[in-house]
Amino acid sequence: MVAVVTAFSRLAELESQSIARALRGKDSEFIGRMVSQYHYRLLRYLVYWTSRREQAEDLVQETWLRVLERAGQYDGRLRFEPWLFSIARNLAIDHLRKQQTATARHQVCPEDERGLNVAAPDVESPFFAAARSEDAKRIAAALGALEPIYREALLLRFQEELSLAEIAQVSGAPISTVSSRIHRGLAMLQAALGGGADAA
Amino acid sequence: MPLENHEKARFLVDRSLVEGISLEDQRWLDAHVEQCAECGRYGEFSARAVRALDWFALELDPAAALRVENVVRSRAEGMKSAAAQARTLWIGTAVAVFLTFMGSAAMWRPWAWLASQWNLPSGVWQVVFATFWLLPSLLLALLPLFRRRLLGEDADHKGQTV
Repeated sequence: MVAVVTAFSRLAELESQSIARALRGKDSEFIGRMVSQYHYRLLRYLVYWTSRREQAEDLVQETWLRVLERAGQYDGRLRFEPWLFSIARNLAIDHLRKQQTATARHQVCPEDERGLNVAAPDVESPFFAAARSEDAKRIAAALGALEPIYREALLLRFQEELSLAEIAQVSGAPISTVSSRIHRGLAMLQAALGGGADAA
Repeated sequence: MPLENHEKARFLVDRSLVEGISLEDQRWLDAHVEQCAECGRYGEFSARAVRALDWFALELDPAAALRVENVVRSRAEGMKSAAAQARTLWIGTAVAVFLTFMGSAAMWRPWAWLASQWNLPSGVWQVVFATFWLLPSLLLALLPLFRRRLLGEDADHKGQTV
């Protein structure tokens, strides 16, 4: 069992190193494959942040261009996903701040990302758009109501399956904070599901 | 069954989903859930809340994905060729500077001989040598490094949109 885990970990390390090499060498073939491979996950992450499909799609491209610019900073010793998501996150936060400044609808404290919730009532939430059943709609409402940092924590833990330490790396928050964000987000989802005991 | 046991079970259910729990705690939880249907339901319910996140599957637009891929590929190729050009430029400049100093060293004696033939003070011919030989050669050697700035290409490059 230990040997299998070690082999997997070695494989992941080799993969990270080949990604770092390709990024530093600007290997367009390899990078093109990576863009395609991570497209869905990056888009989903950015949709969770921005609550807007179109903005998220623009930010996916910006994220990859930023990845190319900062390729030298990724040394391949850690997994690629947390690094990629942290770049996407910074761009999303910058974008939301600019948007909030422009609309001046929300007061944003630079030290507190909890102010970054900009779901506009006139745009259909991508969560609603993807919801197929009544239960899904209830969950969509709960997700839409959650602040982005809680949605982010849920996504990274349960869909991207990152460890708490990796989520802390992405969000720049202590592990204890990450853990409490996930617990709180989960509690909200449970509350939303509580309305329909026989849900999906 | 004491109330604390149910509270502990629910705490462990939540913890097992988020941080993971020890084998010992897992065994205790399994044993408790076998006897307590309510805590079992709570565990199921919590797991379902996590699975609920999978209900939101975004539909991908292949054209948009391809567009992003092409833009990123093209930028990567651009950066690669710019890096290769920069490398060549630096090597070329280094060689040119080296040749400038080698050439100047080689010309030093002939200039000194000419100066002595014309009875020029050493301070004078050395300034003339630096002004009309060394400095122009050095400037010519370094010129390619500033070519982009002189031609205003840097500003164009920074303003390039994707």
